[in-house]
Amino acid sequence: MRQPGRYSGFMMHGGISGRTGAHSLPLARIKKIMKKSGEDVKMISGEAPIVFSKACELFIEELTRRSWMTTLEGKRRTLHKDDVASAVVGTDIFDFLVSLVSDSCHSEDITPEEKEALGGS
Amino acid sequence: MAEAPTSPAGGSHESGGEQSPQGGGGGGSGVREQDRYLPIANISRIMKKALPQNGKIAKDAKDTVQECVSEFISFVTSEASDKCQKEKRKTINGDDLLWAMATLGFEDYIEPLRIYLARYRELEGDAKGSARGGDGSAKGNAVGAMPGPSSQQFVHQGSLNYVNPQEEYYVPLNNMGNGN
Repeated sequence: MRQPGRYSGFMMHGGISGRTGAHSLPLARIKKIMKKSGEDVKMISGEAPIVFSKACELFIEELTRRSWMTTLEGKRRTLHKDDVASAVVGTDIFDFLVSLVSDSCHSEDITPEEKEALGGS
Repeated sequence: MAEAPTSPAGGSHESGGEQSPQGGGGGGSGVREQDRYLPIANISRIMKKALPQNGKIAKDAKDTVQECVSEFISFVTSEASDKCQKEKRKTINGDDLLWAMATLGFEDYIEPLRIYLARYRELEGDAKGSARGGDGSAKGNAVGAMPGPSSQQFVHQGSLNYVNPQEEYYVPLNNMGNGN
């Protein structure tokens, strides 16, 4: 999909030591989210957030492309939340998101914390 | 239909301006939100790349994808963390994440990630190599702070063609790891 050559430029101007540089996603934030994944997540190698910065990009692109197909099926030009929900429901590897998108579809004002409390699926 | 061509110009212009918040830490969305989600501007920019030029994205869709990405990170990290626990390792490394993604059905991501990582290591290794002189003292501290020998991190599955990991190379990254 995305050519690696696109990223060679940012590394040339100083690498990523500590800062996000021109990574498309901030590494420190990724790390915080990783640490919230479980109590036993304590030590994270420096490369892990870098892997995620790219992986999240691939994930967002895939989710968006699949959502956009739903948008087009509806003969629309604006991608909405419902399109994302349809893409999630229609894609096996996105099964882990089903409770997240179905919750947010049915109750607009629910917070993610409440969602967790409800237990989802 | 006639209005469609007007949006690309606005869109591309906007995406340029959106790059700035990532360094500044965003702000305005509340502290909790900052801990839980990646910045919406970055998400939005990546989403736009995946759409044709005349495609638009509603805010509710961006918000949903933002939540999904955090869920994705947690999902993969949990799986990788389980693996580390079983193998009695304390540090989740890049290979653990690749393994977890492959296990969870994201095999398609592995190859682009390998290329990305190899490239990163290559370039980062070069950068570190040229700046090696100044790293000497910091290296000692970082390695000393690690509970296990650093070689523990370098026990890879052989699934990747790793560039020789150099200790110097890991220094700033380890510091990141112990920072909080």
